[in-house]
Amino acid sequence: MLEAMKWEIIHIHNEPDSSLEVHTVEVLVSNIEPKLANSIVRQLNQLCPLDNLRHVKRVQRRTSQGKVELSVILCLADEHEKDTEAVPIGIQPFIRAYNLCPIRTKVAKYPARSKEEWEEQCKIWPTSFHPSTNCDGVATLSDEDMKMIFHYMKVAIQQTKLCYSGAKVLNAAVIVDPVSRKVIASANDQTHPLLTTSEPSARYGCIDRCVATTVPPESHPNTAGSNQDTTLQKFSLRRCSDIFAGVSCLNPWDWAAQELGKQNSLVKRENKFTWHPLRHAALVAIENAAERDRKLFPNSDVSESKSEALDVLLHTTDKCPSKRQKIEEQIIDKEVSDNLKHTEIMRPYLCTGFDIYLVWEPCPMCAMALVHQRIRRIFYALPNPNIGALGSVYKLQAEKSLNHHYSVFRISVPEQDIEELILNTSDNTSQC
Amino acid sequence: MYGFKRFKDESGGLTDNGREWNADKARLALEKLEVPVGLFNWMNVDAGVFPLYIQATRHAEMEAIDTLLEEWQKIGFNQLEVANRLSECDLYVTCEPCIMCATALSILGIRKVFYGCANDKFGGCGSILSLHEITKKLPRGALPAKGFECKGGVMADEAVALFRCFYEQGNPNAPKPHRPVRICPSTG
Repeated sequence: MLEAMKWEIIHIHNEPDSSLEVHTVEVLVSNIEPKLANSIVRQLNQLCPLDNLRHVKRVQRRTSQGKVELSVILCLADEHEKDTEAVPIGIQPFIRAYNLCPIRTKVAKYPARSKEEWEEQCKIWPTSFHPSTNCDGVATLSDEDMKMIFHYMKVAIQQTKLCYSGAKVLNAAVIVDPVSRKVIASANDQTHPLLTTSEPSARYGCIDRCVATTVPPESHPNTAGSNQDTTLQKFSLRRCSDIFAGVSCLNPWDWAAQELGKQNSLVKRENKFTWHPLRHAALVAIENAAERDRKLFPNSDVSESKSEALDVLLHTTDKCPSKRQKIEEQIIDKEVSDNLKHTEIMRPYLCTGFDIYLVWEPCPMCAMALVHQRIRRIFYALPNPNIGALGSVYKLQAEKSLNHHYSVFRISVPEQDIEELILNTSDNTSQC
Repeated sequence: MYGFKRFKDESGGLTDNGREWNADKARLALEKLEVPVGLFNWMNVDAGVFPLYIQATRHAEMEAIDTLLEEWQKIGFNQLEVANRLSECDLYVTCEPCIMCATALSILGIRKVFYGCANDKFGGCGSILSLHEITKKLPRGALPAKGFECKGGVMADEAVALFRCFYEQGNPNAPKPHRPVRICPSTG
């Protein structure tokens, strides 16, 4: 448990990048007569609503020499227009009518996320600040939750080792239902033709396979002898990062350069593909979850009336998804405890409400697939500086246009723990 | 829905045959109450319509890719051979590939993508992210990242008309509560 103490959960905000440096956007402002402020602001809100700048106050109030001075934002400035006097045609009559003198100035582009950031913003133009109401922040996680989260991250990390194949560690994904605390699906990268873990039961009893598929000695830089244990022990995250070359999300374009010709000797499994450049761990896990769904609920015609009744209930109660979910859970629990056969109600819509644990931050393909599949929370341990989509290169959770937004957390795991979890071939799954 | 064209000549865009893509496959999807992402069918690439209500990641592009890869693996092509062939392939699709599909197409190293209408919510070829220009985003030489050429607005009106018809009909696979499904008599 001491080990768990050092683990840490970091919420990766779904806001555009955070720093005290204020991102700004240019607007046209003008001083106005305080007496006219009311009607000017009302008209401007109609003429030029500041839809994407709701955090910005329309009016700035200053006191100079005991006199109140007001200036008002007229509209966004055209960023390509060099001429500072240029005013959109739509509000030219308005400006003439009130005899205004527009000048350019800057305002904060995004709402502040911290008090410090807000104070910085207000130095250039007043904004409003609403402390985060994000109900998925780390602060709301109970000790029990944390324990569960760490546990499943360990499961995921151990799984990278279990599919230790071709001297390479693979990414691992575990989809978990946080309510029942059960694993819904799990998977490893399957972009590599040598992979021998396409059986669904691969998670269990993999040790043999692990040994069996371990490395010809020459492919490992640090190998002294042919003893596999030596090979494994000499593996170090720091010393040989090429051991990560097989992690699909880190090196998505490397599939074409993988060892050739060996797949012919592979026994073909029920799986259609012996290798597939897009079968990253997250995508395979989604597929496995869908497969489970199909098996558990073979009748696809979900009882309409029942689910509609449930939906009506949910829809009218609250708009906050977490509350809705709680209510949904309560209803489902009640149904289960009543021992009714209404299993249709429990059928998940895609992966709604489920969490996914990934050892490496996903690439944009996997991250977007998780949006489509309506995952609730993503936990990853290691950032993906190459092409990470959840903070490192892109920040998909901050794209407002998407129809679903998950919460993203990075679990900072001490390096030695990762090494231990990946390498320790003795059974340590009973931790936590 | 989708279509691949193995690039054979230098005409680049749509030939007369290219206009045959249209509504047949998309209408089929429409009848099966799936989202009609339309089809340019070349090379006999043609997969069944997959139920999106169980796995929302089975987009037309992904189906097309799987069909191709399966076919080529059956023939016994190795990764290098598959990569070479993909780099000679163009994709025609009614709607701009989403971020997931655009990344996938870049990973595969496809040559060109032609699409009908833009996808202003999920588009990965310029609307939201520009994954076809991924080489510009990543530091040079950091990865063997591949972008691809992209041309939107191909027969856009027809693409939009198909989608409009689908959504007027109502998507029975959308999460409930949602608009009720109506039978759209004009889809035949």
